[in-house]
Amino acid sequence: MNPLLMSLLLIVGLGIFARTMYYKITLLTALEPADRFNHIIERLKSVLILAFGQKRLVGREKERASGIMHAFIFWGFCVLIIRSLNLYGEGFVKGFQLPFFGEEFILGYLYLAVKDIMEGIVLAMVIYAVYRRAIVQPERLHNTFEAYLVLCLIGILMVSDIMYDAARYNLIVLHGNPDHLHFFNNPQYGSEFLWTPVSVLAAKLIPLTEDALGYIMVAGFWTHITTQLIFLNLLPLGKHFHVITSLPNVFLKSLGYPHDKPKLLNLEDEAAWEDESLGLNHLRQLTWKQGLDLYTCTECGRCKEVCPAYMTDKPLSLYDFNENLKHELYANAANIIKRAKLSETLKQTGDSDAEQAEKIKAEMAELNSKKQLVGDVIAEDTLWACTTCRACEEVCPVTIEHVPRIIAMRQGQTTIAEAYPKELNKALKGLERNGNPWGIGYDKRADWAEGLNVKMMADDSDAEYLFWVGCAGSFDDRTKKVSASVVKILQKAGVSFAILGVEEKCTGDFARRVGNEMLFQMMAQENIETLNNYKVKKIITACPHCFNTLKHEYPQLGGNYEVIHHTDFIHRLVKHGKITLNRSLEGKLTYHDPCYLGRYNSIYEQPRTILKSISNDGLTELGRHGNESFCCGAGGGRMWMEELIGKRINVERAKEIANLKAANVAVACPFCLTMIEDGMKELGKEEEIRTRDIAELVTKNMK
Amino acid sequence: MKILTTVKKVVDVELNMHVKDGAIVQDGLQYVINAWDENAVEASVQLKEKNGAETTLVSIGGGDNTDMIRKCYAMGIDNGIHIEDPALNKADSAIFAKVLQKVYEKEKYDLVITGKQAQDTDSGQTGIMLAQYLGLPCVSNVISIEVTDDKHIKVSRLGDAGTEILEVELPAVVTVSDSINEPRLPQMRGIMMAKKKKINEMDLAALGTSADDVGAAAPKSEVIEFMASKVRKAGQKFEGAAAEIAAKVVNLLANEAKVF
Repeated sequence: MNPLLMSLLLIVGLGIFARTMYYKITLLTALEPADRFNHIIERLKSVLILAFGQKRLVGREKERASGIMHAFIFWGFCVLIIRSLNLYGEGFVKGFQLPFFGEEFILGYLYLAVKDIMEGIVLAMVIYAVYRRAIVQPERLHNTFEAYLVLCLIGILMVSDIMYDAARYNLIVLHGNPDHLHFFNNPQYGSEFLWTPVSVLAAKLIPLTEDALGYIMVAGFWTHITTQLIFLNLLPLGKHFHVITSLPNVFLKSLGYPHDKPKLLNLEDEAAWEDESLGLNHLRQLTWKQGLDLYTCTECGRCKEVCPAYMTDKPLSLYDFNENLKHELYANAANIIKRAKLSETLKQTGDSDAEQAEKIKAEMAELNSKKQLVGDVIAEDTLWACTTCRACEEVCPVTIEHVPRIIAMRQGQTTIAEAYPKELNKALKGLERNGNPWGIGYDKRADWAEGLNVKMMADDSDAEYLFWVGCAGSFDDRTKKVSASVVKILQKAGVSFAILGVEEKCTGDFARRVGNEMLFQMMAQENIETLNNYKVKKIITACPHCFNTLKHEYPQLGGNYEVIHHTDFIHRLVKHGKITLNRSLEGKLTYHDPCYLGRYNSIYEQPRTILKSISNDGLTELGRHGNESFCCGAGGGRMWMEELIGKRINVERAKEIANLKAANVAVACPFCLTMIEDGMKELGKEEEIRTRDIAELVTKNMK
Repeated sequence: MKILTTVKKVVDVELNMHVKDGAIVQDGLQYVINAWDENAVEASVQLKEKNGAETTLVSIGGGDNTDMIRKCYAMGIDNGIHIEDPALNKADSAIFAKVLQKVYEKEKYDLVITGKQAQDTDSGQTGIMLAQYLGLPCVSNVISIEVTDDKHIKVSRLGDAGTEILEVELPAVVTVSDSINEPRLPQMRGIMMAKKKKINEMDLAALGTSADDVGAAAPKSEVIEFMASKVRKAGQKFEGAAAEIAAKVVNLLANEAKVF
């Protein structure tokens, strides 16, 4: 078309874009390291499923319509990349075609067809998107100028390309192709017009003069090119950066465990205290992957909608959380980059020049943000409202890991800032003194087992399994019944097991979730010593919090065990015929998925299989179940804090269960048991709707 | 201002204690800071934070008190003295008070804060006796302390009729109630720093005194025997129709409990 103009546009458009991207990437490299380049095949697989497959957009039933809308726009963009290259070529060489996409190849025709239809679909989707934003206005969406601008630009991209083709077609068909424009024609595949219904239809709308069509074609071409370059340069400036970053972000997601495990802090490291690098105290301490998460947040608001804190009017909106962090990151970008460089210099200087080192350190300190990360950027109430349930992460289409940042900030609050909810002190003190958050004398830990004929590891360390009872199972009167039920099942199945008794301590889960790394490590180290002393290999536990910590976090401290949740173990016992279940439970039964069992450990099916085998009325699912189950409100240390803001999470969940008109609700976690049962009491429905652990239901319904 | 705080290590009252042959079974017991002394530590740290003071704690006996004293350091105490001497194994409150008197006289303090009693013996005498030995004014069961000037403090104490507010001339001894404050939980930074701090370990000789001097050679009172407290029998639970239960209960009250 015009090589000079084309070159100019490309140089300016791509040049500015490259500069922006260079800056964004430099900022990421100034952040903390993260190891995310292993298991390439697995990573590609998740890109295929989550990004190209648009799983979390199309897969969720309640979001199906908008999911499909987004998916087609995304797929449309993927398809159009080839077209764009072709058009860039056209800018330089008239009739340019990419190799294998020309008129002599079937691929060329197929591509034209797909591209043409896609453009039509994307246009329709853009119209739907505008309608949805302007008229339907879903609560989770924030209607911003940027959103409309980008939709507009996408619309212009589609229309301009369609009009370019349409005008070209009319020049060829109506005016005999005066300028010798290229068009596909092949005796085998027919002419281009046969393959491109959308453009042909558009051509029918503009039966104009040769001059007019000439103008439309040229205008369509250059509008498309310039819009595309403007669009490209707008992307990194706002939430549409996700167009560029979400594929890498999905590729770089956590594998094996749903998100970054809490960092094992070295509290003995004096430099870390001085540098305030225990936990997340300054934004520069984010890992580069967490920085990429912030770049990628699309502000779609799905995280809010499933968040138990947000849905019960707590001041935690992950939308704002991400926004605030992102703005603070950008606002401090120059200083963060500068500081990283100084840090490198400091490493090289080392101890050789103490005076120089001090000077650099002082300079570095100057570069810290004047704002407190927790306090000014993120409110304290926001930070402590999180139950760490991970619902936000499960629905995030671009796999942002929200929770680890929250835990890391809590670590910072308990170590460096010494500003955490003081109401936690009682539970923390209880943990420290008696190894349980209730603070009950540790000597009473095995009292629940009296008369149940349970062996202690101290008496029989040859037992095949250790039954890890947990604090709730040992001290909470209601949960003690669950422990007794587990014992009954294990005894019935003839399983060789023992408990640690008074030697068991809290796993430290609660301490870690509230950022008290010292107590977590203290508990974990003492437990690991005890477990290793008895050469424990396999552990069964009825507490998903213990389960998660023993299984995933004890290896950080050298404790490696095969850990099995009791629902999984009961499932195995049934499968192997060690126990036989009766389908004798009457009344509508539903199941509340515990977060640390489901979302953290993907155990969804085993509990359901068991329940279906004992219920005479089948299993009725709650509206929010499986990976979208609604937290009971006790996770993340919230069990030990008052819920003073907004509605009570457990009551909301209890209402949902009550609305289902269930007679029985099964749980698989001691905290869920307490919270749901308390919720039922609040509603006055504790007699009507019985809350029981799966183990209790199994003991009542087994032969 | 120099504040001296006394700290005793006691059996964790959350644990069940067992008695065998007139002695407490030590197996399985764990020891923690006496709760009222923790309040005393908190009170002196608060005074330090508000008015500036040098805070010292003293602990007698208990074997290895390192952990406990370090935790007090982490709460904000500046110096720690631990006195361990076999001669004090059977010491009573009067002897402890004598030892504390020696500690006081060695350095001289403006204010002594003790817990109003210890959770293990519950005798509540040491602080008051110390004041007597030192000839200092003493206020017990204190719920607030305020420094008015160099020479005076204003304290509130829970008396029989209500809260009494007193002005006391320094030096003085106060024993504090648990409602004076909510002791802070030692924070991690403090705990880490406390690991490096020294504890001034000494015996009676190092303190410049002797068993005879503090009366430990011939205690005026002695524990001869421990007896287990009676365990309450578990209650009975009745289920069924109200009328039947009532009849059953009346029967049991009349024939078994013989209350009629």
